[in-house]
Amino acid sequence: MSEKLSRRDFIKLAGTGIAVTSAITGCGPASRYTTREPYTKMPEYNYNGKSTYYATTCRECPAGCGIVVRTMQGRAIKVEGNPIHPVNLGKTCARGQASLHGLYNPDRIQEPGTRTRGDSALTAIDWEAAIQIVSDALTSDPNSLVFLSGLANDHVYDLAVELCASIGAPKPIRFSAFELFESQATLRQATKTVFGSTNPLYFDLANSDVTYSFGAGFLETWQNPVANTRGFSKFRRGSDKRGYLVVFEPRMSQTAMKADEWIPVAPGTEGLVASAIGKLVAEAKLGSAPVAFKSVNIEEASTLSGVSVETLERLATIFANAQAPLAIPPATASGAPNGLGSVISTLNLNVLVNNLGKPGGLYLSPDAAIPAMDSSATYKDLQDLVGKINAGKVKTLFVHGLNPVFEFPASLGFEASLANVETIVSFSTYADETSSIADVVLPDHSALESFGYQRVKTNTLVPILSGAQPVVAPFYNTMSTVDLLLVAGAKAGGKAILPYKDEVEFIQAKIEPLMEAADGYFNGADLPTYWASFQQFGGWWQNSNSSTAPVSAGSLDVAPQISTELSIGEGELFLHTYLSPILAEAGANKPWLQEVPDPATTVMWNTWLEINPKTAEEMNLANDEVVKVITEAGEIEVSVLVYKAIRPDVVAIPFGQGHKNYGRYASNRGANPADLFGSTVNEAGDLVYSSQKVKIEKTGKKYPLSRMEGYTKLERDLGEH
Amino acid sequence: MQKVLDLIKNPSFKIAILVFVLVAFSAGLVGIYFTQIPPEQPILFPHNRHVNLQIQCLYCHSGAWKQASAGLPTEQKCWACHGQLKKYFDPVVPVSEWPIELQKLNDYAVNNKPIKWVPVYQVPDFVHFNHRPHVAKGVACETCHGDMSKKTVATLEQTVNMGWCIDCHTKKSANDPVLQAKLLDCGTCHY
Repeated sequence: MSEKLSRRDFIKLAGTGIAVTSAITGCGPASRYTTREPYTKMPEYNYNGKSTYYATTCRECPAGCGIVVRTMQGRAIKVEGNPIHPVNLGKTCARGQASLHGLYNPDRIQEPGTRTRGDSALTAIDWEAAIQIVSDALTSDPNSLVFLSGLANDHVYDLAVELCASIGAPKPIRFSAFELFESQATLRQATKTVFGSTNPLYFDLANSDVTYSFGAGFLETWQNPVANTRGFSKFRRGSDKRGYLVVFEPRMSQTAMKADEWIPVAPGTEGLVASAIGKLVAEAKLGSAPVAFKSVNIEEASTLSGVSVETLERLATIFANAQAPLAIPPATASGAPNGLGSVISTLNLNVLVNNLGKPGGLYLSPDAAIPAMDSSATYKDLQDLVGKINAGKVKTLFVHGLNPVFEFPASLGFEASLANVETIVSFSTYADETSSIADVVLPDHSALESFGYQRVKTNTLVPILSGAQPVVAPFYNTMSTVDLLLVAGAKAGGKAILPYKDEVEFIQAKIEPLMEAADGYFNGADLPTYWASFQQFGGWWQNSNSSTAPVSAGSLDVAPQISTELSIGEGELFLHTYLSPILAEAGANKPWLQEVPDPATTVMWNTWLEINPKTAEEMNLANDEVVKVITEAGEIEVSVLVYKAIRPDVVAIPFGQGHKNYGRYASNRGANPADLFGSTVNEAGDLVYSSQKVKIEKTGKKYPLSRMEGYTKLERDLGEH
Repeated sequence: MQKVLDLIKNPSFKIAILVFVLVAFSAGLVGIYFTQIPPEQPILFPHNRHVNLQIQCLYCHSGAWKQASAGLPTEQKCWACHGQLKKYFDPVVPVSEWPIELQKLNDYAVNNKPIKWVPVYQVPDFVHFNHRPHVAKGVACETCHGDMSKKTVATLEQTVNMGWCIDCHTKKSANDPVLQAKLLDCGTCHY
């Protein structure tokens, strides 16, 4: 310090400086210069910083799970399960979570438009013109009108049924890749044969102690995987005794990974194995087997299926000694030439151990909450439809909630047949393979912007009608298809006029009879009150169990007609195609789902061919090598993934990718194994796809798959370290 | 060096230094003053006209009874009424002939531009003011904001400082020691 400025003075000076600086800069609030920008458009019932929650129904698959969507200032930000909804009790699957990516998808169709066939761009039209187009279609020859519908849009389908019936058009056709890959028609027919009922079967996995699944991926896509997963966790941990699960399928699926035993049976022999176990169980319990199982030759079954006689006997003993045994029918294997016989054999196994209507056994789901629960079309019906189109009998085709050009296998010839249709009207929310060739595209609101309802058909012991309501105001210039059909019908006049003012009035008319239904979760004195509760709770359901015990229609006394044909096509390997548990038929346009690793292989963003290491070695194939998979129907190119948990005579490809035109995330990514399917149908009218034989050729190319984990090292076995 | 010292000792130089310091200080004060006056509102909104048409405060500032901030109405809300006023929306009256403030509103609403309103009542960042309990307790809007039926744009009617808050909290809870303890607790506003 100099003599002129003492230390004390310096500190004083510095203190004053700090005080002055703070006084000058610290005057007034820091937010002094801000301006406040209110939203230019903000929905009602929103407060700054507070979320609004809406109960609605997930429409990513037809299961009808209840969801609660959290919204913030008019934007949906999170999907969770609806905790009081009986089918999913607050849980969702990855697809439900990703439904936000449907709402915010950049490839949504934002306005109505028309195009000249073959052009890619749409010319925008206004809704007046759109209504005129639909109205003209409704006034033309009703016999030449066909309405194609998906499975997750019950209220649109119901209205279409009414409209078509009123104007004398043929009944709308419902289908989806779900139907195809789960071979639901086969299960329906088998249920009818074995139990004489058209109601869906309920498999009480939760209370069973030994469950044998013959290839249904019930933890992945089969029926309602969310409800099945809950049942499964109860099966494992719900009681003192841990449930024992055995899965019979040629390729280890996610469900089989969770099983105590995976029995890699030869494709198409699932029914034979079920019958063999049935025979052994019957002999152990009753002394002699009933007619249905009597003719089974255990040695032959063992040779064909590749399961040793000892294993069959051991499994039969476990099943026979179980307190609550349950056999779940095949899904993939139903799509085999002998599919119907296989499903009947599995159901017979349940009849044999008499678990009908008992805890851990089989039940028949009750009738739907509101009537007219139509079953979907079979593949045979689709073939008839294509025949009709090719004969020039269809002038107008309406498509809603379905992407037939992608979901129907190429061998059906649907896309080619469309040249014979004068006008294709698509109500699709997204640009997809069908809406990109449609002449008129009249986009519906996305699922989270829509009213609606969905009957819960599977995994339920009570009648449930899931309710849907918009959680956000529509983002784009879209229009509810129900409103559009009603307005166009009114404009067309005559029989096309339906007695509803708009979509909400239509839905209210449908749910009105439930107002006074006995034992409802809620009732209403008047329709507006009831309607408010219906929106608030996310649907209506009955409180108490109203399922019934299935009654055997004597199928044990009938010798089964199991076709001995185990495969179709030429080739050295079986092709096992399964619905991707993550993408399923329409999830590929959602990046969240593309990013989710496949549970079995951890592959993302692509299609792969699973092949056993032994077969790969014989064919001199390595990971990431691109091969050509060939059938009579077609060929695709996919990267190889050496996968230990598959039979050496089987290769597997998931279905879900291979879109040609489904937005930026899905287009030209992977391959579509449905291109390899032939056109044979089984006895129940389902496509035979699971016993398809294929040839594999090397291409010399390589395309690396993106995976979460490294490749399986061939030098060590599973479980070794 | 001696010259410099002589210059410093010169009285006129001392006066010049003093004048310079005073000018600089005044400029600083003026600067601070300017930081404290809010900019002009983007639309000179006539509160009086709207209030005299019997439109409730909560119709536009609907957050006041549910949340911390009273909120500003969306343009959608403005247009819901203004879009129906025949006087101006008759095609024979072109936009250019509308009152100037309505022309501005039209520009904002038609082009979907947000209106950048300037806040009038502000508290420092370390104070949390919440409208909701005040409205719930029945404090009338004009208690703090003045009689809006006589004002066009909102003006600051109170010196919004802690003394003002405490004063009112003390008066309102004079007969209730439990409530007073709550209302005068630091954590009520500073948290």
